[in-house]
Amino acid sequence: MTETMIEVAGLGRTFGALRALDDVTLTVPKGTVLGLLGHNGAGKTTLVNVLTTLLPPTEGRASVAGFDVVRQAHQVRGRIGLTGQFAAVDEQLSGTDNLVLIARLLGASGRQARARAAELLDAFELTGTGRRPARTYSGGMRRRLDLAASLVGRPDVIFLDEPTTGLDPTSRMTMWRIVAKLVDDGTTVLLTTQYLDEADRLADSIAVLSGGRVVASGTAADLKAEVGQRTVSVTLAEPDDAVRAVTALQRAGLHPVPDPAGRALTTPVTASRELAVVVRALDEVGVDVAELAFSEPTLDDVYLALAHHGASTPTAA
Amino acid sequence: MTNTSAAAAPTVPGWRGSSPRTQILVLTTRSLRAVVQDPRLIVFSLVQPLVMLLLFSQIFSSVANTPGFPAGVGYIDFLMPAILVNTAMQAALQSGVGLINDMRNGVVARFRSLPIRMGSVLVARSLSDLVRTALQLLAMLVFATLLFGFSPAGGAAGVIATLALALVVSWGLGWLFLAIAAWLRNAEVMQMVGFVAMFPLMFASSAYVPVANLPGWLRAVATVNPVSHAVDAARALTLAQPGAGGATTAIGVSLAIAAVGAGLAVRGFRRPLPR
Repeated sequence: MTETMIEVAGLGRTFGALRALDDVTLTVPKGTVLGLLGHNGAGKTTLVNVLTTLLPPTEGRASVAGFDVVRQAHQVRGRIGLTGQFAAVDEQLSGTDNLVLIARLLGASGRQARARAAELLDAFELTGTGRRPARTYSGGMRRRLDLAASLVGRPDVIFLDEPTTGLDPTSRMTMWRIVAKLVDDGTTVLLTTQYLDEADRLADSIAVLSGGRVVASGTAADLKAEVGQRTVSVTLAEPDDAVRAVTALQRAGLHPVPDPAGRALTTPVTASRELAVVVRALDEVGVDVAELAFSEPTLDDVYLALAHHGASTPTAA
Repeated sequence: MTNTSAAAAPTVPGWRGSSPRTQILVLTTRSLRAVVQDPRLIVFSLVQPLVMLLLFSQIFSSVANTPGFPAGVGYIDFLMPAILVNTAMQAALQSGVGLINDMRNGVVARFRSLPIRMGSVLVARSLSDLVRTALQLLAMLVFATLLFGFSPAGGAAGVIATLALALVVSWGLGWLFLAIAAWLRNAEVMQMVGFVAMFPLMFASSAYVPVANLPGWLRAVATVNPVSHAVDAARALTLAQPGAGGATTAIGVSLAIAAVGAGLAVRGFRRPLPR
């Protein structure tokens, strides 16, 4: 049973002459995380705004939790949670009062609302600060309160627009843990980020957005296989060995690139077993190796390859 | 982080929305809480009208001896209805400023993603400001009675009628400022617009000096100025003098402004937030 929670088809949004979204098509199955990757101005926030009914699309259609974002905006709003780039909490109110307010607006009774607020403050490690006005909160606390606020109604789909931008590493880790837990509990998440490790870590599938278009999509592994490169990097014990090392590796059928400093070189490989080829080739000519490292392609490679020159690249996967 | 399952727990059905009545009630209470939690809001909003009351009652008291002035009336009794109307108008401007602050605060951004009507947010703002203005005007009346010897011929009934009239004016004008706020979305510009509009309207009127005493051109302006009509009606009620029928006109104009303002405010408020 793979129920679709977000369905987007041929979606476009223009602002005057600017095409902020151009023919975007994607689907997100229930209980999964879609990571939307792209640099500033790629259209991530515009897409989130359209899907959360804050902004009408100019073409195409989109549905969230089975409801059309234009014609059934009210139903969509009853089933989603949104955590934007800027904390949307009432700074004058305490954490508790913020959450109670939202619960009441969603239709909870006073007692249910207070119970839900206490539950969320506890879950988000904000218990001790529930009575303080939100303006006295630190950045990380405010984001957690904001996320708690978007979960009050137990939404089916959560939109997180750059949830960890500007947070310190500890707060980021806390945020990641919370998101992972939400997904475990069956919530569907759409997450935008500029951080590749974040997408790599949280997302089941990734869509790379550039100039308002989806230029690549698939799992992190798909994208890496498509674009990235596995490499072996070698640090030599003796700088003088550089030339001999390069020749030896070339003889073994590799294409090493020496580091300008002379002591190191890297070579692309197709699989990790070629590590042995490198070791053997260098051993045969008696070159001493100080350090040897194998690296998997990172999303950075994907990102750099696609996000900047992506417009002409066909969609992967 | 042992308890995060509470955050999602899909076994419990989610809440999907509330009636507009509940929305208005909850949102009005929210705004009024801010007043209760921070009474400075009321205290500081009283400073300006009190200073005006003090200064004007001293500076203009000799006006009471001029030919155009109603016979047998103390200047404070003449002045107080105008101060009430003026304070009510200032409160209407603050209503717009309050809406802009909410938009900046981030709380409006949250409301927009919830299944609530944007109209509820505006109605709640209007209602809570009405309550706040009522408290403010009552406090003014207490000060005027205790400290300035305000004791008009219209008695309690006249004063209550004046208070009600001032509140209707404030409420109607409040919608106009909510509309301006919803389209402008900038507190500084809003204050400026308010200041530029309010000052001439207030002074080129019958508020502080009988219209007959004004120079010719200003008298012409003051005669057509809607504020004059509101002040004249308020004054007639307070002093138990003829002319209270003007209150009907003042209420009619206020309701018309409210209707137009509310329509524009909802349209302006629905536009997407920037960013």
